[in-house]
Amino acid sequence: MYNISHMSKISKDDVLRLAKLSNIYIDDSQIDAFAKDLAEILGYVEMLGEVDVSGLAPTEQVTGLKNVMRPDKVIDYGPSPKELLKNAPAQEKNQIKVKRVL
Amino acid sequence: MSDFEPTIGIECHVQLKTKTKLFAAVGNDAREAEPNTLISHICLGMPGALPYLNEQAVDLACRAAFALGVEPQKFSKFDRKHYFYPDLPKGYQITQLHHPIVLGGKVKIKIDGKEKPIGVTRAHLEEDAGKNTHPEGKDYSLVDLNRAGTPLLEIVSEPDLHSAQEAKAYATELYLLMKYADVTEGDLYHGNMRFDVNVSVSKDSKLGIRTETKNLNSFKSVEKAIEYEIKRQTELIQKGKAVTQETRGWDDAKQKTTTQRSKEEAHDYRYMPDPDIPPLELTDKFINKVKSEMPVMMPDDWRYKLKGLGLNDQQIEILIQSELELQDKISILPLIEQHLSDKALAKFLANWNVNVFLPLVREGKLKLGKDYHLALEKSIYDLTNQNKLSSTNAKALFEKLISQEKLPEKVEDYAKAKGYIQVSDESEIAKIVSDVLTANPQAVEDIKKGEMKATGFLVGQVMKASRGQANPALAQKLIKSQIDKL
Repeated sequence: MYNISHMSKISKDDVLRLAKLSNIYIDDSQIDAFAKDLAEILGYVEMLGEVDVSGLAPTEQVTGLKNVMRPDKVIDYGPSPKELLKNAPAQEKNQIKVKRVL
Repeated sequence: MSDFEPTIGIECHVQLKTKTKLFAAVGNDAREAEPNTLISHICLGMPGALPYLNEQAVDLACRAAFALGVEPQKFSKFDRKHYFYPDLPKGYQITQLHHPIVLGGKVKIKIDGKEKPIGVTRAHLEEDAGKNTHPEGKDYSLVDLNRAGTPLLEIVSEPDLHSAQEAKAYATELYLLMKYADVTEGDLYHGNMRFDVNVSVSKDSKLGIRTETKNLNSFKSVEKAIEYEIKRQTELIQKGKAVTQETRGWDDAKQKTTTQRSKEEAHDYRYMPDPDIPPLELTDKFINKVKSEMPVMMPDDWRYKLKGLGLNDQQIEILIQSELELQDKISILPLIEQHLSDKALAKFLANWNVNVFLPLVREGKLKLGKDYHLALEKSIYDLTNQNKLSSTNAKALFEKLISQEKLPEKVEDYAKAKGYIQVSDESEIAKIVSDVLTANPQAVEDIKKGEMKATGFLVGQVMKASRGQANPALAQKLIKSQIDKL
């Protein structure tokens, strides 16, 4: 196993905030387990900090592609808007119905 | 008002004039479309959907760069900005955080006759969100994703603005630049340019706490919202209270800004590079091609030329705006430019269009095809110069002819036949004058006593007797010489 040299601390509040930002519900009983898992994940990633990257450009993409563009023309993708809307949990007059947001 | 100095920065979302969305090859014109008819798996953020960058949006962003006086960035790339809201099905917006396509730039404004350059920090490409509506009395909201993915260029100004008036001038000039460069349709009513204004006030060089008032879609609301914020913040501080850093909305009916509940309490967008969109590395060839397609004359070039004609600032701005107002009906500025070598004619054309033509267009009188426009104005110019048309008749003749589709073969013959041509034949008018003098002995007496007011009356009588066709200047001259001889 990898060596977690400086284990990060993830507090209960950190977990709750992350859950909120990610729009997921977590049970109180899950918080401690998440805090531990997240701290381990973070600690693993922190190993990267040991590598000297001075003078290197950040890697933002790994495909090596650039300038992937299409002409400004409509493409028929197949599924019609009506068919696509069937995936919405609820609808009203062609609009997607969601829990009130204002 | 006080010794508080406002500091203002503006973010403007310009909707780019493309046929399809920024990352989906789906139609873009959501103005008249039924809800959710312009959508695809990409707009809905369905699993496996791969966004695909629209070349035209990149082209237009580069045009915007040139309009702002800078070269576009050769290297730029896209990032994900995460937040949850029903109008954003992917859970993130694709935008450009660290490497925007435009860095730097300038917008020149004029305040009280003085030019002031306003710095542009950056401009980046990003996708618009959908539209939420909230039916009255219901416990749900409705989402229309037609607008989701529409290409926007967000132009961010430096905090160089220090009054509501300057901010309005900046917004107006930015609009002109984007319209002249053909970057946007610029339909303000449909939100093609939306302004977010950051305002703070301070007594010293340290900036105060700022508020952001979002989604202003007219120059007037930019001005009014800023005026309101400056006043509100100044009063808060004078009462010893603190300004809260927050997002506010503008209530146009009440003419005030109000606190907006934020979309999310914790603002943490967790930006990350978007792995779906490879970076842009624009070639010199591409950049030069865009540059070569820019209009030769931008608003400032016109200002310089028109100033040389001796037009005043107000006339110049009306003519510059008219290019946008008239759309493709007719283009006045090039007509004037064609005749810059004949200063008198060019000046006549400028004045005529500002004072006569544009008001008639606004009244919906214009029917005449654009090929005839210049010919008609030149005929009017010539006939006026030859004293054949009074200024009143020139306007009447012009109004008559622009409301027809075609011009008569010879404007002068038409004008003569229809009685617009003024009689400058001295002997003919002399006869009418002599009749008028005989019929109005009292007025003649008055003039002899030095009451020159009566001259106006007699000229009126001559005009009446000639059914408006006499040249009034000539009539006046003849009245004077005939009375002197009496």
